[in-house]
Amino acid sequence: MTAALEISHVSKIYGSGDNRVVAVDDVSLTLAAGEVVLIEGPSGSGKTTLLSMMGCIMRPTLGEVRLAGELVRQEEGDALATVRLRHIGFMFQAFNLFPALNAEENVELVLRLKGYSRATRRPEARRLLELVGLGARCGHYPEQLSGGEKQRVAFARALAGDPPLLLADEPTANLDSRRGKEVLALVRELAMSSGKAVVIVSHDPKAEVFAHRVVAMEDGKLRKGP
Amino acid sequence: MLWLAWKTFFHEKGRLFLTLLGITVSSVLALVEVSIYLGMMDNATSIIRKTPGDIWITSRNIKAFDFAPPFPEQRINQVNSHPEVVWAEKLQLTYAYLKLADGGLEQVEVIGFNPDTDIGAPWNMQVGQAADVKGGRYMIMDLSSQQRLGKLEPDSLWEVSINNLSMFKLVGLSDGIKSFTTIPFVFMSYNEAQNLQAGGAKTGRTAYIVAKVKDPARAAAVAVELRARLRDNDVLTKQEFIDRTIRYWTIQTGMGMAFFLTALLAVLIGGAVVGQAIFANTMEHLREYGTLKAIGARNRDIYVVIFGQAATSAVLGYVPGLAITMMMQGTVSKLGVPLLLDWPLLATMFVVIMMTCLVSAWFSVRKIRVLDPVSVFRS
Repeated sequence: MTAALEISHVSKIYGSGDNRVVAVDDVSLTLAAGEVVLIEGPSGSGKTTLLSMMGCIMRPTLGEVRLAGELVRQEEGDALATVRLRHIGFMFQAFNLFPALNAEENVELVLRLKGYSRATRRPEARRLLELVGLGARCGHYPEQLSGGEKQRVAFARALAGDPPLLLADEPTANLDSRRGKEVLALVRELAMSSGKAVVIVSHDPKAEVFAHRVVAMEDGKLRKGP
Repeated sequence: MLWLAWKTFFHEKGRLFLTLLGITVSSVLALVEVSIYLGMMDNATSIIRKTPGDIWITSRNIKAFDFAPPFPEQRINQVNSHPEVVWAEKLQLTYAYLKLADGGLEQVEVIGFNPDTDIGAPWNMQVGQAADVKGGRYMIMDLSSQQRLGKLEPDSLWEVSINNLSMFKLVGLSDGIKSFTTIPFVFMSYNEAQNLQAGGAKTGRTAYIVAKVKDPARAAAVAVELRARLRDNDVLTKQEFIDRTIRYWTIQTGMGMAFFLTALLAVLIGGAVVGQAIFANTMEHLREYGTLKAIGARNRDIYVVIFGQAATSAVLGYVPGLAITMMMQGTVSKLGVPLLLDWPLLATMFVVIMMTCLVSAWFSVRKIRVLDPVSVFRS
């Protein structure tokens, strides 16, 4: 079966000579569809850099990234943006919702980018918000939502257009313990039911119980192997 | 993505109001300044444009219509003898003083024309006809002069003087004929204007000869041929004379240039306001643009958002600016300031305002182009 995400011998090196910094050092990792992997580690260990390379936001200095078995060509311009749009859904620590858009429109935004027709995107956005338990909050703006609700909207947005891979950067960092658990449980449940691979980067030790696999990073290297 | 542009744009009402206010004020300033300039140029050239001739013969090195040193009028024969000239007519221009009811003197610009042909005659007559000046000391004045001269009553008598004093009867009133300098025009017959200038003696000199050619398309060629015959005169096509007059008032006096520079400054200030507003808006929403990039928006999608906001600012700022200027037009005109607002000007100013806003938005686009979407992972 083809892996949802495969990174092979990926490194990220900044600078050269005496100023050379290895942020990620020869990391390989494979995720199957429906699998939830937690990457944990102290600040500066390279977690976010690794996540950025998995998400095709940052180009690795060495190594390669494959999405659904397809090698990601590290091209310039908008080519990587198209890869991200097709294959990856993102959740961010600070939610990163658009304050001028209500919950439904925040989800719809991705569907617009993906070229969904006017007739289909609104019902699809509503369906996704109902899926994350926010069917009654479609018309609410981010400022009218609690932290947990914002992260659920962000999750619905990440699911928009059915990408095979979800990447979540510290999704519980701005939530209290109860809401953090609720969000992680929801992510795990929907990922498993829809066959999406999920990578969660987190400091939160409570996140471990929601992952199928936990890997730790230290000084740019994986401490526990895939 | 215009949808996102508008949603974001209209979300922040305070910023929206300030941005639009800046563009509206700039639009009003630019429109008023440019339309005053065009109105003044329209006044400066109105007699040239309204007189039905294709060629103007003037004294050598004339600067503008209003300053015409006289030259021998018999040169009209050399003009008339050209085979392509249908007719030629003399036109007098001189300055005189008009005695007002309060005893004061007001300078006027006297135009002397042939009332038999009406060439160089006033237009848009409200009282009487241009030909009424024929056969005596009769004159026509313009209603717009009432601000300076007081009430203009038909059949009233006025003292007109240069060296000697003569009484003229007001037999007609035109409307809307003004000079660039705002000195009132007084129209009378060619002979009376000449008499007035020479204190009753025939000078045999004219300010202008206007000629009509058979084929107006050949006017430039005929002018070249007439130049060879009239070496002590300037021979200009109608358009050349208009251009020379406009050039004089615009460049040589600096008056037109002052209006032009004020209009330019207004547009630049408007551009700076909208540029600053859009750039500040971009900087405040950098995280959102980074998020857009991260979730897969292409650069051009984001450009549509930024340029869309700039274009919307231009439209929503310009329309009230235009409305305010049009509402001002009547009041300003009554104060004697000409405001020429025509569709080509309105369209041109809209394009200028739009381009200024789009160029201003370019600074935001440059910022977004190099924005690294990785930044969204840094809380």
